[in-house]
Amino acid sequence: MSTWLIVSLALPLLGAALAAGVAAAGYRVVRCVALGTTLLTLLVAGYLAFQFPADSPARITLEGAPQAEPFALWEAQWFGSPEGPVDIRFSLGLDGLGVWLYALSALLMVTAVLISWETITHRPGTYYALLLLLETGLLGVFTARDILLFYVFFEFTLLPLFFLIGIWGHEERRYAAVKFFLYTLAGSVLTFLGLLAIAWWCASQHPQGVLSFYLPTIEEQLRRTPLPAELQWWLFLALFAGFAVKVPLWPFHTWLPLAHVEAPTAGSVLLAGVLLKVGSYGFVRFCLPLLPAGSAAWMPWVMWLAVVGILYAALVALVQWDIKRLIAYSSVSHLGFCMLGVFAMNRPGLEGGVLQMVNHGLSTAGLFSVVGMIYARYHTRHMAELGGLARRLPLLSTVFLVLVLSSIGLPGLNGFAGEFLILAGAFNRGWTAPAAYAGQLYLLAALATLGVVLGAWYMLGMVRQVLFGPLQEPVREEGEPHPAVRDLRWYELGAVAPLLVFVLWIGLQPGFFLQRMHSALLPLADRAAVSYYRSYAQAHLPAKNKEQKGQPQGEKQPRAEEAPPADPAR
Amino acid sequence: MDAYVSPQLVGHLLPEILLLAAGTVVLVGGAFHRRGHLWHLVALAAPALALLVLWFQRPGPGAEWTAEAAPLALDAMARFARITVALLGVLFALLVWQREPDRPAEYTGALLLLEAGAMLAASAANLVMVFLALELVSIPSYVLLYLVRRAPDTQEATIKYFLLSILSSALMLYGFSFLYGVAGATHLAAIRRALAATTGQAWLGLGGLGMLLVLAGLGFKLAAVPFHFYAPDVYQGTTHENTAVLAAVPKLAAAVVLVRLLWWATPGLEDLGWRVVLVLALVTMTLGNTLALWQNHLRRLLAYSSVAHAGYMLVGLAAAFALSHSGRAADAAVTALLFYALVYAVATAGIFAVLAAWSQGAKRVETVEDLAGLSRHRPGLAAGLAVLLFSLAGIPPLAGFWGKFGLFSAALQVVRQSPGEVSTWFVVLAVVGVLNAAAAAAYYLRIIGTMYFQEPGPEADQVEPGGGAPLAAWGAVALVVLLGLVPRLGLSGASRAGAALQAAAAAPVSTVAAQTETAPARQARLVSPDSREQ
Repeated sequence: MSTWLIVSLALPLLGAALAAGVAAAGYRVVRCVALGTTLLTLLVAGYLAFQFPADSPARITLEGAPQAEPFALWEAQWFGSPEGPVDIRFSLGLDGLGVWLYALSALLMVTAVLISWETITHRPGTYYALLLLLETGLLGVFTARDILLFYVFFEFTLLPLFFLIGIWGHEERRYAAVKFFLYTLAGSVLTFLGLLAIAWWCASQHPQGVLSFYLPTIEEQLRRTPLPAELQWWLFLALFAGFAVKVPLWPFHTWLPLAHVEAPTAGSVLLAGVLLKVGSYGFVRFCLPLLPAGSAAWMPWVMWLAVVGILYAALVALVQWDIKRLIAYSSVSHLGFCMLGVFAMNRPGLEGGVLQMVNHGLSTAGLFSVVGMIYARYHTRHMAELGGLARRLPLLSTVFLVLVLSSIGLPGLNGFAGEFLILAGAFNRGWTAPAAYAGQLYLLAALATLGVVLGAWYMLGMVRQVLFGPLQEPVREEGEPHPAVRDLRWYELGAVAPLLVFVLWIGLQPGFFLQRMHSALLPLADRAAVSYYRSYAQAHLPAKNKEQKGQPQGEKQPRAEEAPPADPAR
Repeated sequence: MDAYVSPQLVGHLLPEILLLAAGTVVLVGGAFHRRGHLWHLVALAAPALALLVLWFQRPGPGAEWTAEAAPLALDAMARFARITVALLGVLFALLVWQREPDRPAEYTGALLLLEAGAMLAASAANLVMVFLALELVSIPSYVLLYLVRRAPDTQEATIKYFLLSILSSALMLYGFSFLYGVAGATHLAAIRRALAATTGQAWLGLGGLGMLLVLAGLGFKLAAVPFHFYAPDVYQGTTHENTAVLAAVPKLAAAVVLVRLLWWATPGLEDLGWRVVLVLALVTMTLGNTLALWQNHLRRLLAYSSVAHAGYMLVGLAAAFALSHSGRAADAAVTALLFYALVYAVATAGIFAVLAAWSQGAKRVETVEDLAGLSRHRPGLAAGLAVLLFSLAGIPPLAGFWGKFGLFSAALQVVRQSPGEVSTWFVVLAVVGVLNAAAAAAYYLRIIGTMYFQEPGPEADQVEPGGGAPLAAWGAVALVVLLGLVPRLGLSGASRAGAALQAAAAAPVSTVAAQTETAPARQARLVSPDSREQ
């Protein structure tokens, strides 16, 4: 038992109460409270993340180390008891899947506070209190080790963001806030039902019939006796409803550009940086391990949705004139990459997918911050009204350019590491697939690669328009030049500088980050690959298998140990 | 034989006695001293004392009191529901406490009598007692509605409620007559025994008919489709305070009676029961939510929302029926239903308390637009209202989430533990239920959005909270948050209630029947495990 995690969750709560309490003292005081709280939380989260043990892939086998020990475990009984009839625990812990997303949330919170430093003067007490509440929710989502606790945090994150968008957003804020909330809720209630059904199924298998929501218990039980394949097919659909809206996968993405554009900068930063990851995290946390056969059955569909999303969002981004909207669509496109990697269901794909979640969080959050800074100076997001800003704002432009390059996947920056692994995973899935599927998978991977090109196109087009060329600033009054604007202030630099550090670090040394994911992701990927083979390869390639293995096996019901070995990824 | 009026009995019924005595004092004294803070104080003190007594009371009475002839079953479920009513009583007393009282004393008197009625209904174990207790809820509510009449539409609402309420009572009585005809007894335990003994006989159809009629009568109190028509008109026509009482208390009483009378006392009718209740639940929540989406008048909107919540409660009842049908323990479903009733009643009382607090001055909050920008002028109460509405919408970590969690968990338990057709129906019920919960968020969000995201109207600063209503609102908010963070506070009580009923239901009927000849005083108890220890 370690108290660090609960401390990191409680700190923002206390900070929120404090921020609401000193609201009368004005925004200058409140923002300091918020900054202090987020920095302290970041300190705790950073300490935990860098204490997290690294692992080498060689040590990890499918049977040997099925699941790494949870790190920084903190547990209390929330409702019921382990002996039943209901077992709900307040259990927090870090594993390789959650650790970087947890740290990312803590980091982006500091960015969110700093980016609001001067721009939020309207009802600052409520604003910062909501921001800090959101932090508790987010840190909870990525550390919860109980299905119900996860769902509680998952839904709880909606509340602060709903108010953040609705009160401090732009013109269409009310519509955007309600649409965001309802869309996400409508999906997630079905997810809830799916998770409940999984818990009930496990309860009916449990010797004492305990209805347990404790994730390790459920995982272990499902590993022993997996859910029937047909049930998994349906339950995957239920879980998909909530997570796909959250990711968002095409065609469930329509709430996202609206919410992004209308949200205040900090809202966009957090929405793009962390909240979208909750969806893809949910797929990796619940769908792959609990419903392996269901995931395998739906794999081609999800991959197609992901690739269509990549291309569609990129094409839509190409024709945007609003910078914020362009970045919002680029988010949809990039999240498509994450999903493609996750559903390649092999080692490189899965690790790349999770790494890309972090990458996207860093670069897109940074881009939204910079757009917010430009908006704070010129009160426009219209590309045609801006031009040649590199001359007026050299520092800001440099930061902007680095983030853009990271986002389009320039080698040496973080985006490349993630996208490369994802595409490698996708192609790998193609050449290890049965012939009937290989063509389709190659096509998917090739189309996704085309998405990278499109990404570079719209991003660099935007950079050319906004940063280079003749200086152009929005006209306020006819004939009057725009009043002078200042380059990055200290707090703005503080908001984006840490992001740049990690953009470079992940780009140059991705192994440092991947090593800490191995313990959780590699066994997961291997198990997912096995279930993939069970679903596809054996049904379609009985002859080839017999040749390779030299032993006949049942065509319909292969046993686990007879499945082909996992992908030789590295 | 033992006298029924023993000191122990008086001790057990002290809460009801307190409320009835206080109510009588107010009604009599009101003739001499009108419109004072004094009567409000009495109306607050009585339920508060009752709550105290109930809290320290050991659940479960002595043997003589659970005998079949006894009209009350003081088991764990009764305790849970009585505590809830007493809690609501305290909230109501604060809610109706005006800054300058302009209501006659009879208003508070009627309120006290109504609470006593609901408490009695919670423990009534005899058809006659059930009817009397429910009438003790209904008749004071006519008085409440009538006393605040201001305009023709208020009178219309009063008359409408009066006539329909009488009709529903008549339907229920008619149903009772069938149950009596089938079982030959009025005590619920005796009915249960008789029905269990006659399973499979052709004339059991009469029992089913009786069940449907009782369901119709209670459906009115629950505001379930198709007996919901009165709710929007009546709620809109009367005051915030009255709506709080009408939306919370009869529904709670009906929920308890439904469990005790329909589910517990009618074995052999489960197959009919779950079908009817499931369809009612589906239609009720869908219709309630759909119609609520289009409303602009706050009380009308919340009336449809309360219809929808009746639908969610019926999910629990349907699950309980279906589980007993397939011979499974249904205590989780009963637990969920009771907890949901508690959470719904508290949140509803709190919401109307906020609205009442904002309607004390010249400006009254009646429509959704009247709330525009009130978060700016009244940040505290606005936040409270938002919390209560989110709880009704079932957003974690508020109490409403655990309510919905319990109900849908019960529905999935049926799916898991029942064969084919039953299971399919409950999948449909669960999916429609959660989608309804999401759709319901739309109109709750509209209220919250108007409060938070719109600019204040010209008269917004004239909204002056006053009286005791803000206190009631804060009490409700505190409860909703507390029950959300520490659900075991409410759930353990509800689950004891469910377990007690389940234990009583699981007791083999034949043994009970055998005991009837040998030990009349100990026959067919409605006992909890706690009372067995005594």
